Amino acid sequence: MDSTLAVQQFIQQTIRKDPSNVDEILTPPEGQDEGVWKYEHLRQFCLELNGLAVKLQNECNPETCTQMTATEQWIFLCAAHKTPKECPAIDYTRHTLDGAACLLNSNKYFPSRVSIKESSVAKLGSVCRRVYRIFSHAYFHHRAIFDEFENDTFLCRRFTVFVTKYNLMPKDNLIVPILGDETSMNESEA
Amino acid sequence: MDDGPVTQNTSGQIGSLGTGVGIVAKTNQDEYNQRPHYSIPGILHFIQHEWGRFETERTQWEVERAELQARIAFLQGERKGQENLKNDLIRRIKMLEYALKQERAKFHKLKYGTELNVADFKGTVYDDLTKDEFVDGDLSNSNVSWKQGRQLLRQYLQEIGYTDTVIDVRSSRVRNLLGLAPHLTESDEKKNTSLVNGEQSLNRVTDTQRRGAGKKPTNSAAENALRETEASVLATFDFLASENIDIEDDEEENLSDENGEERNMEDNKRIISQQKIIAKNNKTERMDDLMMEDAETEEVLSEFSFLGPESANGSREARSLGDIGEWEKSESDCEEEWGTSPQAISKMMEEFRRERNRKDTFQRPKRSALQAMLATLSNSSNEENRPSSVVPDNSPFTSSPSSMSQSQSGTGFSCDTPSGDSRFGEGLGLLANFDSLLGFGIPPEVNTNGVHGGNLTFGSGSRCPLLGSKCDDENMDTSLGLGELAGITVSNEAESCYDISASKEAFRKTWNAKYTLRSHFDGVRALAFHPEEPVLITASEDHTLKLWNLQKTVPAKKTASLDVEPIYTFRGHCGAVLCVTMSATGEQCFSGGLDSTIKCWNLPNSNIDPYDSYDPGVITSTLKGHSDAVWGLSVHSSKLHLLSCSADGTVRLWSPQVKASLLHTYYAEKDDGQPASVDFVRCDPAQMVAAYDSSNALIFDLETGKNVLRLDTINSSSVNPLSKQINRIVCHPTLPLVIAAYEDKNIRFFDITTGKMVHSMVAHLDAVTCLAIDPNGLYLLSGSHDCSIRLWNMDNKTCVQEITSHRKKFDESIYDVAFHPSKPYIASAGADALAKVFV
Repeated sequence: MDSTLAVQQFIQQTIRKDPSNVDEILTPPEGQDEGVWKYEHLRQFCLELNGLAVKLQNECNPETCTQMTATEQWIFLCAAHKTPKECPAIDYTRHTLDGAACLLNSNKYFPSRVSIKESSVAKLGSVCRRVYRIFSHAYFHHRAIFDEFENDTFLCRRFTVFVTKYNLMPKDNLIVPILGDETSMNESEA
Repeated sequence: MDDGPVTQNTSGQIGSLGTGVGIVAKTNQDEYNQRPHYSIPGILHFIQHEWGRFETERTQWEVERAELQARIAFLQGERKGQENLKNDLIRRIKMLEYALKQERAKFHKLKYGTELNVADFKGTVYDDLTKDEFVDGDLSNSNVSWKQGRQLLRQYLQEIGYTDTVIDVRSSRVRNLLGLAPHLTESDEKKNTSLVNGEQSLNRVTDTQRRGAGKKPTNSAAENALRETEASVLATFDFLASENIDIEDDEEENLSDENGEERNMEDNKRIISQQKIIAKNNKTERMDDLMMEDAETEEVLSEFSFLGPESANGSREARSLGDIGEWEKSESDCEEEWGTSPQAISKMMEEFRRERNRKDTFQRPKRSALQAMLATLSNSSNEENRPSSVVPDNSPFTSSPSSMSQSQSGTGFSCDTPSGDSRFGEGLGLLANFDSLLGFGIPPEVNTNGVHGGNLTFGSGSRCPLLGSKCDDENMDTSLGLGELAGITVSNEAESCYDISASKEAFRKTWNAKYTLRSHFDGVRALAFHPEEPVLITASEDHTLKLWNLQKTVPAKKTASLDVEPIYTFRGHCGAVLCVTMSATGEQCFSGGLDSTIKCWNLPNSNIDPYDSYDPGVITSTLKGHSDAVWGLSVHSSKLHLLSCSADGTVRLWSPQVKASLLHTYYAEKDDGQPASVDFVRCDPAQMVAAYDSSNALIFDLETGKNVLRLDTINSSSVNPLSKQINRIVCHPTLPLVIAAYEDKNIRFFDITTGKMVHSMVAHLDAVTCLAIDPNGLYLLSGSHDCSIRLWNMDNKTCVQEITSHRKKFDESIYDVAFHPSKPYIASAGADALAKVFV
């Protein structure tokens, strides 16, 4: 495990072993650089979110979900465009994932997968925030898909634990009540 | 003048084409006779292959020929330039020396009141005569110029190496004539005083001539022997005189708009030339008188004096028009003397240069301006030549190196090709293939022209006309006496030198990483190029496929390679995408995944906005039938048929566009294992070959589904059955040959007519995972988990290039390699989530 891709290999191996064991998956090996650890996890989240996006593509169409919403409180604007615009939910999902793929693979911000600049680590938070909206939209508007996906991957649970653990998102924003009462009471606030 | 060889070469080339075809036909027939046991398709494929090979070789030869032609033209141009330079310098030397002499004489005279040339002419009998003359005509102004002229003429003779002859002739003749001298000098003087301007003197000359004609020959026989020599000497005089006048004109033209100092100089020169003419005429007269007694000499002289006025008018051509055989001969002789540049001239050239550097500073800006002007001239002629360069008659092969190197040198041309020209198009296709084979570098700038296929040959032949036009320029300029031409020649020289070396470079070119395709989150399992455009699709373990347009790059700092961002992301597979292939039209692509499905996609426009809204029409259908991961796909080159192989042990044939898309399922025997790779047999559309992880490879008849041949793939040397696995099998595009990549680091070649192995080689340091054959079947590309891709020459099975390309993940490195079907791109896909494109 001396390759530059060792962290990704480690994460994928632990996920493959037991995707439900979120805590083990999110426990870094000793001496692991935290920036790289967060970065590689976020890559893995985006990777696996492609699976949710595929499922959503079949059901979430621009006619039914004209805007990216979770609760009725917020309309999320798609940041992939020059001027943020109100993309339909499915476009928002795709654009957000594509944008995250470009950012996380950007030679400018993330030229190496072994060491990551502090300034680039700061970018991870915004990616997390945007990506989380896909979970929340699926949860509030396509609950069946969300549940099916979550049962297979435990991805939203893992994500929630992840962002909480590394303080990548404010707790108020975690509107999917995935961790039980602890977060469900925040639902209305977000 | 230089156009001659060019046209000749073109016709010669056409001739060689014809013979080339003849040879091909003959060879093929021989082959046919030698191997009657071969099946018809086999022979046909062999012929095809041979033809392809010959075609390639021919192209190579033609490229070589074009190179040599360019070289010849360039050398010719260079020679001409040198000659022009030499001639011009000689003229300048003459002129300046003349001026210098005049100045010195004047100075000397003013300072000492005596003629400078007195001392100069001492020591010869000839000088005695001069002295006499000098004493006689001391006060006459015309006498001064006469003497100066004589001095100059003598100087000329010395310069061209005639001195000895002249002096010998002179001395003997003068000795002979001195007996008659008294009345001779008298007549001389009479003429001298009467001489006011050139015309009068000319009249005089003709008078003398007439007078001379009436006289009887009273000369000794010895003088007859000298006659010819003298004639040539006189010719030289004549030539020199006209030369100087020519220069005068040139200089007037060149220096017309210069400052007063120079004008003075010019005036001086004019005076000088006048004096010189006078002097010459004097000389002529004197000579006339000298030879009055000699009727035969006089005959010659009459011609000379007849020529005199014309040369005084500065017209050399008229003189050469005269039908005087001997004179012309001697004239050309002396011209040759000039041309061969004796050492004296080169010495003087150096002196002249030094002098010029010291004195003639005003010439500097003039010269540079001239050079600039000529540069623009050559540019414009280049421009003018451009349209003609696209004329279809130009063989694209001949001109390809030059055009390519031109594009490399950054000359952008507008590409207005006659698109309707079939021959041109054919040539383009072939050339494109050829280029991709030989690793011709086609810079991306060319591609950004946005013209498909043909952009290689644009501006074809523009180099050749350029050379031609250069020669034309030289021809024109020779008459103008532009010595600065040499400058042009040099610059052109440098350019064409660069071009030639560049095209040679292209031949030896190695593939270099140009684009890095980063946007996948996990290993890239497969990639496929668009048949025409610089567009490719990658399939990744991150459940997506991405479409990349190599023309849409993101400038990356520091690195030489360019980053490309995907223009479309295909989401449809639930799980890793393992294989992808593109239809021959480039409109559809098909992907197989770990989810056991095959998805058919409509390819979005290659200029699509990456953040456009979702179009559900991109995914057209899902082919369901396999019960396990789909590991390999192969699309038929003409029909829209698709072969898939899956971990469920089956190979299936699909027709993706019809509803009941599954056409056939092919089962192997149980111990064959799972199919790892599948390919259509390219040279027999009714067959396909499938390779299994048991290291077996079978050929099936597509219609009957029967296994028609089992390749001799069992490798007894490997003990471990796992390491015998075949990872990839590909079919040669024209030959009855399949190539298999083995887990045991080998690549093996099989003849599918017999099933026998024809070649085996250890190709990598680790498992060979993927193979690709270039569209013409001359090169093989292999990728391995040893992180390297290798390019192989199909002919001699040697490795042409090795590129370390990807990093390892889970001990795996390279998953796929590909050749672009029509452009010089190769690509590799790796476990490190990157794909790389090489040019």
